[in-house]
Amino acid sequence: MDNVSSSLGFSASSDPKTAVMNQVRQEAAMTNARQLIEKVNEHCFEKCVPKPGSSLSSGETTCFTSCMEKYMAAWNTVSRQYINRIQQESSKGAGAGGIF
Amino acid sequence: MDSPTTSLDQNIDLSKLSPKDKQELQQFIVNESQKSRIQQSVHSLTDICWKKCVTGTIKSGKLEKGEESCTQNCVDRFLDANFTVIKHLETMRRQG
Repeated sequence: MDNVSSSLGFSASSDPKTAVMNQVRQEAAMTNARQLIEKVNEHCFEKCVPKPGSSLSSGETTCFTSCMEKYMAAWNTVSRQYINRIQQESSKGAGAGGIF
Repeated sequence: MDSPTTSLDQNIDLSKLSPKDKQELQQFIVNESQKSRIQQSVHSLTDICWKKCVTGTIKSGKLEKGEESCTQNCVDRFLDANFTVIKHLETMRRQG
């Protein structure tokens, strides 16, 4: 009933609360993905292309695929370990959780 | 068009938010910020620990046994170090 009254022709969602939430989630996911891609590129280029040739060889491409999966595995391991640690520290009290 | 308003303001009519909605949103933002801070730390820790623990050539898409435990230790020791620094700073502050 009130989405007609929206002066903008392209109101994103009938419910502004949901719209804001979706947008925030989307932007957070984008930032996260962008950072991951940046790091994967940086580290895997280092690992897989020690001497850049005139094109990316098939061996280098394969290495990139593995390296990418491996970096994500490392990310997940770190995430698990870090979250465990935060939970441990915060159950100890002293509010140490927010330090790093 | 070239105003500094974000895409949020352009698409969403915030004036329609009820006080309850506003409160819910505020809580949502607090949670999301925390999540994003944690993710940020995970990114930076992965960066640090990858450099320390993945030193050989890439053989497969999985972490090898030694690399996995190294990564876990790396996270814990980094945080230990972090706490040590903070504790020592605290001592220095008290000593003036």
